[in-house]
Amino acid sequence: MEFKLEAHRIVSISLGKIYSARGQRGGLKLHKNLLVSLVLRSARQVYLSEPCCPPEPPAAPRALPEEPPPPCAAAAAWAPGEPPPPPDEAPRGGPRRPGADCESARARRCCCCGCCCCEAGGGGAAPPLPCCSRKRGAGERGQAGSPVKKPRREAEEPPPPPPGEQEDMETGNVANLISIFGSSFSGLLGKDPPGRRRAPRDGGEAAAAAPAEAAAEPGQICCDEPVLRTLNPWSTAIVAF
Amino acid sequence: MEGESIYEVDSGDGLGADIISTVEFNHTGELLATGDKGGRVVIFQREPESKNEPYSQGEYNVYSTFQSHEPEFDYLKSLEIEEKINKIKWLPQQNAAHSLLSTNDKTIKLWKITERDKRPEGYNLKDEEGKLKDLSTVTSLQVPVLKPMDLMVEVTPRRIFANGHTYHVNSISVNSDCETYMSADDLRINLWHLAITDRSFNIVDIKPANMEDLTEVITASEFHPHHCNLFVYSSSKGSLRLCDMRASALCDKHSKLYEEPEDPSNRSFFSEIISSVSDVKFSHSGRYMLTRDYLTVKVWDLNMETKPVETYQVHDYLRSKLCSLYENDCIFDKFECAWNGSDSVIMTGAYNNFFRMFDRNTKRDVTLEASRESSKPRAILKPRRVCVGGKRRKDDISVDSLDFTKKILHTAWHPTENIIAIAATNNLYIFQDKVNSEMH
Repeated sequence: MEFKLEAHRIVSISLGKIYSARGQRGGLKLHKNLLVSLVLRSARQVYLSEPCCPPEPPAAPRALPEEPPPPCAAAAAWAPGEPPPPPDEAPRGGPRRPGADCESARARRCCCCGCCCCEAGGGGAAPPLPCCSRKRGAGERGQAGSPVKKPRREAEEPPPPPPGEQEDMETGNVANLISIFGSSFSGLLGKDPPGRRRAPRDGGEAAAAAPAEAAAEPGQICCDEPVLRTLNPWSTAIVAF
Repeated sequence: MEGESIYEVDSGDGLGADIISTVEFNHTGELLATGDKGGRVVIFQREPESKNEPYSQGEYNVYSTFQSHEPEFDYLKSLEIEEKINKIKWLPQQNAAHSLLSTNDKTIKLWKITERDKRPEGYNLKDEEGKLKDLSTVTSLQVPVLKPMDLMVEVTPRRIFANGHTYHVNSISVNSDCETYMSADDLRINLWHLAITDRSFNIVDIKPANMEDLTEVITASEFHPHHCNLFVYSSSKGSLRLCDMRASALCDKHSKLYEEPEDPSNRSFFSEIISSVSDVKFSHSGRYMLTRDYLTVKVWDLNMETKPVETYQVHDYLRSKLCSLYENDCIFDKFECAWNGSDSVIMTGAYNNFFRMFDRNTKRDVTLEASRESSKPRAILKPRRVCVGGKRRKDDISVDSLDFTKKILHTAWHPTENIIAIAATNNLYIFQDKVNSEMH
């Protein structure tokens, strides 16, 4: 959980750096922006691959339902604005942005990661914790990949922001940005906005990148007018860049 | 080490002193050149030792100041080209004049520095001010004679090597053949002849066909001090590549690749950034290479590609603060490193105006501070210590009170003596080890 927050923070900082690099005197610093994009890529991978509520091993001390708690994709089914259900409740159906839930879950209480990372707002990168493994198996990648599809779908039909959930909106936008920016370096150098670029990446991507993530077509999203309207000014600047 | 002199590099335009961006001794150590963010070069000269005043022996005084580069504008790309001097390299002296190369992001210039201490007097046709004489007043002819005058240092641009680089030039290196030099930008390295400005030869090109596939850039490069066919370049991924120009015209394929596998226990979001090599320097012997990355300096043996032979922690206490250092951009600071004349001690800068020296033989290290207090003439530098919790001694600095705006990125060591030049923002400090002024 804490990794996801750390990753989110790093993604925001990185995007800010890329944005402010545009007006820099002397032109774009290739080296620095490459490093920032690498950090962004790592943070993005962690952010997208780490579930909201990682499945607890059966040996965990807390009382568990018979079924293990669902991974983030299904947990995304929580209704907006409600406190996360205790782990022994079955998840409800319905689409929901996964990032938003994690944010609200964390704000209220540290939910199902009972045995780990329970310090809300802990500063600094926590060491890798056993049940919040950043490395995910191939099978789980498919699941981890699905949150990427959710923001994409949602981005195309701008949902009205639920009241009192500005924080979630921001997280949701960051998730949009991540899928838009993609894992390639394309957005940083081209004079054209990433939208006009044909399918960036795949060949050059790191082996660790999930195929599902690669399937998110950054270029096409940027072109969509309704998408551009929903993005906050920050992200619009990145798109133009 | 004794505090010796401090110079504040003043732009003289009322805006205050300018940030020093490079420091370099010439091959004898008689001259010291600094470049700054405003495109100026200041050259210091060491006063010859005087038996009459032993305490003033070997002081460095300003010898010449000139504007090397001006801000330019690339109209095609709508980009300003900074005038900041990235690197200065001296040419070996071949006659009475001194020559140096200075570069900004795009253009390298060769400057010739000459002295004039005599001038001709007694012309027949012109008077002292140079005005033509009235011929009717000329009654006899005289032979002009050279009379001594106050020393004048003249600096002239002899060559301008322009349009060789698309990306930002990060290093230049003069070959031991004294005829060629190379310049490296983020993706390419060019070989130039010192006398030819209208063309250069590309010897390394790591630009991918698709820029989206870019994963690493060139961060520094240097010619081998003795073998004119060998050079090394470092990358943002922490690797070094030794190339042999005899092997092929385009040295994309390295002869040797020096790389240390990453320690998996240290993995973090910022592992890639902190492994990027910011500087590489051959030892004077030519047998070793010194590299600097964000937290360490490493000595590599040219014969061993798998790992460095020595690793020294510069400021490992920053490892837990990488996220904050990323936020305030300090993690991108590019520190340089230096060898002493006998390759027994290595030096590099850090934060809080600290700089570190590591003795390779005794394995002892020291942290010193470049500050006004420590630099009063003949004041002895006191070793400093950063405490990371636990027992705190008097005069220790805690990690949290380090000033990250005071960084020592550029340092230089005299080629033969224990004299060091430290650039701390806009101040230049020169320290001498008077006790051990002989090299051991």
